[in-house]
Amino acid sequence: MIAAEDEMPVGKRRSSLIRSPQFSSLVILIVLLAIFAIADANFLSPLNISNMMAFLPELGIIALGMTLLLTAGEFDLSVGAVFGLAPVVVMLLVQNGGVDIGFALLAGLLLCVAIGAINGLIVTKIGISSFLVTLSMLLVVRGAALYITQGFPLKSWDQPGFFVTLLAGSFNVGSFRFYTSLWWFIGLSLLAIYVLRYAKLGNWISAIGSNRNAAVARGVPADAVKVWLFILTSVLAGLAGMISAFRISAASPVAGTGYELEVIAMVVVGGTALTGGRGTILGTIVGALMLRAIRNGIVLIGVPGLAYNIFVGLIILAMLILHALLQKNAARG
Amino acid sequence: MEVLRLQNLQKSFGSVRALKNASFALKEGEVVALLGDNGAGKSTLIKAISGVFPADRGDIYVRGEKVSIRSTRDAMDLGIETIHQDTSLAPDLSIARNLFLGREPVKLKWLGVFAPLDFAKLRDAASALLKRVGISKKLDADALVLTLSGGERQSIAISRAMQFAAKVIILDEPTNNLGVEETHGVLRFVKEVRDAGHSVLLITHNIHHVFQVADRIIVMRRGEIVAEQTVADTDLLTVESIITGADMSALLKETRAK
Ligand SMILES: Nc1ncnc2c1ncn2[C@@H]1O[C@H](COP(=O)(O)OP(=O)(O)O)[C@@H](O)[C@H]1O
Ligand SMILES: [Mg+2]
Repeated sequence: MIAAEDEMPVGKRRSSLIRSPQFSSLVILIVLLAIFAIADANFLSPLNISNMMAFLPELGIIALGMTLLLTAGEFDLSVGAVFGLAPVVVMLLVQNGGVDIGFALLAGLLLCVAIGAINGLIVTKIGISSFLVTLSMLLVVRGAALYITQGFPLKSWDQPGFFVTLLAGSFNVGSFRFYTSLWWFIGLSLLAIYVLRYAKLGNWISAIGSNRNAAVARGVPADAVKVWLFILTSVLAGLAGMISAFRISAASPVAGTGYELEVIAMVVVGGTALTGGRGTILGTIVGALMLRAIRNGIVLIGVPGLAYNIFVGLIILAMLILHALLQKNAARG
Repeated sequence: MEVLRLQNLQKSFGSVRALKNASFALKEGEVVALLGDNGAGKSTLIKAISGVFPADRGDIYVRGEKVSIRSTRDAMDLGIETIHQDTSLAPDLSIARNLFLGREPVKLKWLGVFAPLDFAKLRDAASALLKRVGISKKLDADALVLTLSGGERQSIAISRAMQFAAKVIILDEPTNNLGVEETHGVLRFVKEVRDAGHSVLLITHNIHHVFQVADRIIVMRRGEIVAEQTVADTDLLTVESIITGADMSALLKETRAK
């Protein structure tokens, strides 16, 4: 659906956009925002919006990689663990190894490349489902983070300088306070939209997820594409972990616990098919905003803290049912 | 002129010898039907030619030259286009995107896989192609393949093979799961493809179709080619008995005598 729409004449494009899954997600996002705003005036206060915008990019960046991976028909459960491990390794290198922060960051990202490559190679070359491979990797990576820190959080890099500004600098717009991570998210989102919709690679990614054999029969290097997408997702998870650690000046070995499910929820709520072939970056951005707004808004309107996952789960379920119904409709019409 | 020749092709899957010593040749502008029961080794044979997997042993010649086909890309580059059973199109992609899958027209070619698709060219070429093959009436190049009927999908897949001016077009059971009307459409299409100068290898187990479109018949059984006849020299009953193996010795003798 997504793949086709940018190539269509304007009139047709409009009608297919309205029926598209990311559009219905957008409508629901707006409705939710309106409900929260009416229920509690603080929801739209500069402080609250600044707060939401600080968290949004960290999960959002991972969700971009996950969208591409899901579109190609695979997913990655190890992202939350990688989010935790990458900054911990960076800080250990700096604090115990005396390594320069720049090299330490590079080493952290290379570690993510290796984790993604191992995931991808086992999935494609040995043919084990990505669910099992990345679930095991989650345990290995989380276990490694706990072991090398002995379970204690590390103080993160907080000396002002290039890298802090690059990853966790902040700036004020009026009474709003934004972090540079928002720029990362916007930039990476634009890149991902370009790749999935407009580039040759995006055509391959969708085709692989839609019908792998057909893509392979046309000479598309399906396995190589998947391995690179696993690497990309892992690197984005590590980058997000570093951004988060720098922002709060602490690198915890348990950071990012449960993020894998939150990220997958963002992606599918946005309209990307869990079964592959149909992915939408715009939908994922809407999904990321929606989960952030729900988590934040539900607390503001006074749902008891312990009950709050009930609501999050129900809203996600409702979104998925909606997409399924729309999908059925589209196939019929 | 000979476009394709196979010499002693062999392929095993573990202990299953799916292909034992298959040899035959395909001439320019002819339709050869490859017949045989389920499990005879037809798909295995064409997969070895189209680069899905390499044969264990044997040689392939394209226009008299010995070639090595290690991947689907190799086969496509040699002018061999294959439409596999049930797996030829990506349903979530538009017709236009499917027609050019793996050979997308792009701008800024130096960007490699990140190069932007040339949408204007993509749409124009797709519409032109749909018109040329006579299925433009109601098909829109931007429609998703999942909205098409089985016959329309086969026509799209065959058109795709034609557009790259393939020397050899291989069709694996193209009329499976199709209605009567659609089947006739596909068969008519096969004739047009031949008239346009392409050679066609048509895999099927429907003998009636063969007699409508093929010039020559090759019959496979248990991984072996057991007969090779021109359509003009044979009839439906003979071919049927070869496929099922009834009275084979007599028929084999007859084949060898030729
Ligand atoms: N990938 C495979 N792995 C194992 N056995 C296979 C495979 N492909 C085909 N075979 C076996 O090889 C034989 C020939 O199969 P196939 O070429 O598909 O026959 P046909 O297309 O004529 O129906 C069958 O016995 C089949 O079970
Ligand atoms: Mg077969």
